[in-house]
Amino acid sequence: MTVALQSGRVLERTVPMRDAVELRVHDPQAAREVRPGQFFQIGVDAPHTLLRRPYSAAWADPERGDLGFIFNVVGAGSDWLARLDDGDEIDLLGPLGRGFDLDGDRPAICVAGGLGVAVFPGVVAALLARRRPITMFIGARTAAQLLPARRFAGADVRAATDDGSAGYRGPVTDLLLRGGVYELFACGPTPMLQALVQRAPVLGISLGSIQIALETPMGCGLGTCLGCAVPGRGGGYLLSCQHGPCVRADRLDWSRMTDAFHD
Amino acid sequence: MTDAVSLAVDLGRGLRLRTPVLVASGTFGYGFDAPAADRASLGAIITKGTTPQARPGNDPVRIAEVPSGMLNAELNISCPNVANGLQFGVDAQLAAQVTDAVRQASSLPLIVKLTPNVTDIVAIGRAVQSAGADAVSAVNTFVGMAIDVRRRRPILSRGSGGLSGPAIKPLALYAVWQLAEQLSIPVIAIGGIMTADDALEFLLAGAAAVQLGTVNYLRPQAAREVVEGIAGYIEQRGYTRLSQLSLRPAKVMAGV
Repeated sequence: MTVALQSGRVLERTVPMRDAVELRVHDPQAAREVRPGQFFQIGVDAPHTLLRRPYSAAWADPERGDLGFIFNVVGAGSDWLARLDDGDEIDLLGPLGRGFDLDGDRPAICVAGGLGVAVFPGVVAALLARRRPITMFIGARTAAQLLPARRFAGADVRAATDDGSAGYRGPVTDLLLRGGVYELFACGPTPMLQALVQRAPVLGISLGSIQIALETPMGCGLGTCLGCAVPGRGGGYLLSCQHGPCVRADRLDWSRMTDAFHD
Repeated sequence: MTDAVSLAVDLGRGLRLRTPVLVASGTFGYGFDAPAADRASLGAIITKGTTPQARPGNDPVRIAEVPSGMLNAELNISCPNVANGLQFGVDAQLAAQVTDAVRQASSLPLIVKLTPNVTDIVAIGRAVQSAGADAVSAVNTFVGMAIDVRRRRPILSRGSGGLSGPAIKPLALYAVWQLAEQLSIPVIAIGGIMTADDALEFLLAGAAAVQLGTVNYLRPQAAREVVEGIAGYIEQRGYTRLSQLSLRPAKVMAGV
């Protein structure tokens, strides 16, 4: 793998949902090459920061040469990125890692918790292009933090909120129904993923039919620093940046999966 | 890079490198993934330590960013820990014993990487030099830590980790400056080198070569930029050889 270092240009900054920022970036090569679920290591130039920041592409439009990133401002790096605006250069390393395997033929159910929703506009578009029926379950703390349903046009969108301000009141994983032959695509906080995996037998779905986009801190994103290790089934570790970030749930050791990265 | 400028360096025992820019352990993989142009700039690739049996590695969280630096749990105190947990990189006598044992076992070039987590790095350097090291590299990471105030716990699962990056450059530079003055074997500098100017500081301090570490995570093309920067600097000043850079009294380095 030769890693492409690209220089994109920010076209637009928007607020797609409360607390989040979306950057539309013009970078034809990146937009052409990225697959849903893959990520970029984005260079940040904030004082005293060092490492690049890993972000999944939210979507890509190869014809226009654009791609999008959706993120929350959680620290110095994301704060710096959130201040980029129309015309600013953005330093992208990638696309990196493995995206989702979208080529199955079963109906697709997508489950997103919190900012995990950021990867799904592109996933849903790609599933639609494959003519797969899609149900999109989105969970957030409150209604204002839900990415609007119009971002998933063509999918059957259902929402869950912790405070009941929109859709079902409770964990998004409660929305999953037993039975049916489908494939699951999930991204969200570790407790949400744990709940999903625990419910899988009840739902009658095998862990091999669940694909997860991992969110871990990363150092290099290139398989070198070994900082993004996640426990693998049968011992040892997988590297989120190399074996993932999209992996099937049966490759992970859920008993050793800690919630070190989320509140 | 023009042919008039030789960046070649001899690290002893016939270990002659095309350029003085190496990539540090654990920051460049095994080099197979690097573009050819970047590989061609390198003097050498230092791989991660290898073991006869596969080791799974540490529990997450393994890395943390700190101001101008990075903590990494894959810390190794310059030599693997022995069974009783004693770290022989921090004791001159033990460091010499290990160096001697390796020297007896092999006629290959032997470079000993020094930890900065000691009172007197020069004493360790002298000890491994006497025991037969052909060169030393300095420095390994500084032991450090970071605590998550909100969650009230150390960020790294092991509590502490090795600090690398620009944060340690002045500390590493002083260690290299001292070692280059006191040792007769080549010193390979490591510690927060991000740019050609950083590398030049170490070469001026008397280092025979430099290793790039953390910067490989940020700019995969960094080695090439640093080599080009060094060549340009030498050429601009009308030098022809790398060894003319050092502010340290000239030392006899065979073949250069």
